[in-house]
Amino acid sequence: MNIIACVKQVFDLQQVRIKKETREPIMENIPLTIGDIDKNALEEGVRLIEQHGGKVTVVSAGSEDLEETIKEGLAMGADEAVLVIDSSLDSAESAVSAVVLAKTVKKIGEFDLILLGEGSSDNYSGQVGPRMAEILDLPLVSFVKSLKVDGHRIQAVRSLDDCMEVVEVDMPAIVMVMSEINEARIPAVTQILKAGRKPKQVLSLDEIEVDPAEMETKVETLSNLAPEQDRKQVIFKEDADTAAADLFNALQSEGFIGR
Amino acid sequence: MEKFDVVIVGAGLAGLAAAYTLAKDGIEALVIERGDYPGAKNVTGGRLYLNPVRQYFPADFWDNAPFERPVTTEIVTMMTQENAASMRFQALEFNNPPYQSYSVQRSKFDRWFGNQAAGAGAMLVSKSRVDDLIWENGKVAGVIAGGEELGANVVLACDGVLSLVAEKAKLREPGKPEDFAVGFKEIIELPEKTIEDRFNLLPGQGAAQLFMGSLTQGRFGGGFLYTNKTSLSLGMVVSIRDLMEKQPPIEAPVLLEEFKQRPEVAALIGDGELAEYSAHVIPEAGYKGIGRLYGDGILFAGDAAGLSLNIGLTVRGMEFAIASGVLAARAIKQAFDRNDYSAASLSVYQQLLQNSFVLKDMQTFKEAPHVLDNPRFFTYYPELMGNILKDLYSFGQEPKEGLVRTVRNRLSFSDITGILKDAWGGRKI
Repeated sequence: MNIIACVKQVFDLQQVRIKKETREPIMENIPLTIGDIDKNALEEGVRLIEQHGGKVTVVSAGSEDLEETIKEGLAMGADEAVLVIDSSLDSAESAVSAVVLAKTVKKIGEFDLILLGEGSSDNYSGQVGPRMAEILDLPLVSFVKSLKVDGHRIQAVRSLDDCMEVVEVDMPAIVMVMSEINEARIPAVTQILKAGRKPKQVLSLDEIEVDPAEMETKVETLSNLAPEQDRKQVIFKEDADTAAADLFNALQSEGFIGR
Repeated sequence: MEKFDVVIVGAGLAGLAAAYTLAKDGIEALVIERGDYPGAKNVTGGRLYLNPVRQYFPADFWDNAPFERPVTTEIVTMMTQENAASMRFQALEFNNPPYQSYSVQRSKFDRWFGNQAAGAGAMLVSKSRVDDLIWENGKVAGVIAGGEELGANVVLACDGVLSLVAEKAKLREPGKPEDFAVGFKEIIELPEKTIEDRFNLLPGQGAAQLFMGSLTQGRFGGGFLYTNKTSLSLGMVVSIRDLMEKQPPIEAPVLLEEFKQRPEVAALIGDGELAEYSAHVIPEAGYKGIGRLYGDGILFAGDAAGLSLNIGLTVRGMEFAIASGVLAARAIKQAFDRNDYSAASLSVYQQLLQNSFVLKDMQTFKEAPHVLDNPRFFTYYPELMGNILKDLYSFGQEPKEGLVRTVRNRLSFSDITGILKDAWGGRKI
């Protein structure tokens, strides 16, 4: 079977620091990586191929750093990468990403299953999957926590607020996975080395025939600040016994313990 | 099992210098780094003496290196509980390139260095940890990383001061607390102009300030401060033995916090924003602390070999790492040409190090750890200096005493004998 896993290049958010005065994130020198849940999507694809045979193609759109970032995906077991590279794509909003990815998928042509993460690590809009399903006119199964393939049919367990829903659908289809579906593998050294030699197709926006009108941004970011953290800044300096008692009382009066 | 010419453990300065040199010589080198990228886990106080290692690289190699500031001003500050005396040294020569030393931040510098090594053809794999060595007939024949066996003609261990590889190879005795210090520092961000104003620097110049005396509360060690482009590296280095044994017990972060609250320091870092906190173990045993440098199929470089030197006013490690990495690569090249990776063949590494500044400097200062391990340097002298200066600068209601008498009041006959004794001990360095 042919699986396409769509992943997004994001800043490694664990390494982003917040400027105290302005609460702005400092993005300077932050390494790029593949989104966390995107890795689960790719991992699921690789596992299905290991079980049923076939090929996983990792698809992504972003700035030119993507050629380096995607090596991680290839090391995890994708057979090849198809990338759309354009400097405008790193901050692309969900609608644009969906168009670009859908057109890339069309260009690839043959596929049975498209896998995505439930949301990206940075914006977590959760929109790209549904929008792609609409553009490509494919069935969409979201919030998937486990996935089985049987012939041309997939069976997915959807994790909803108050229940589990089991869904069966014929391929081709789009599946959005949740992080609990699997534990993404840490690639072995030789896989990382081989990743650099795996086939990589780089496309421009022209080559996938994106209309400039489709690239138009409709979302305006008004502010991107860390939540305000109000620290009480209380220090208990007395001996351990008194300090422990005072700390306990303080936590209790704030309603954190002993309710 | 995949096999490589050379597997280098650790993308620090030693590992990357070796990888770059090997790649330039056309030898296949795989560097395995545990951090997310080279430099992600590497820590320095903040200063690289570049001059000793310039010779090992092309003349224009360092032109685009992400240095912070060249050090053009040296400041030494002696502190007591009540006062501080500073000496500021500037030499016109320090103001002009080639600069002899720079402040650096490893997360930026090592990442750049990694790109140079990769650009030269070295293979660099991050986010992977080496867990063990592979042995064949008593020789090191590769490494195990993430459960995977990777064969190698020779393994170059550049995995830092607490080298796991050395431990696994049973080539190193477990360390003793007295042979190590712990360095801990903060990166405090300030605007470029503020830094230049506070340290009396012209744009692009940098300062290095060392602190000794009461800040370590009687423990072997001192403080340091380096100016970066838009931040200060402020930290302390303290003997691990003293931290464990000296009474009353005090924790390293508390020492640093109290140091920061000293008005002399607070004025320098005021309004700064804490950006980073890091700590690192430093080999302090000097020449006698140097571990095994090579074995059958294995070499050690940088901190993993114990190549680090504290002679009080300067603490050097990074240039030893770079030089030993390059020299290890040269030794490997010779072994490669002979197709002989036995200990005897690799022993040329020791000779290369002995002919270089690395082992020469470490030999010259081999008594330094012993001489410096004298509590008087951390308590008595700063206090003596502070007290004399205080008497000279203080004005009360009493008539002022003559200068010589003022000094003599603070220096008894036994004080002078003590100083002479320390000076006699210090003749060895």
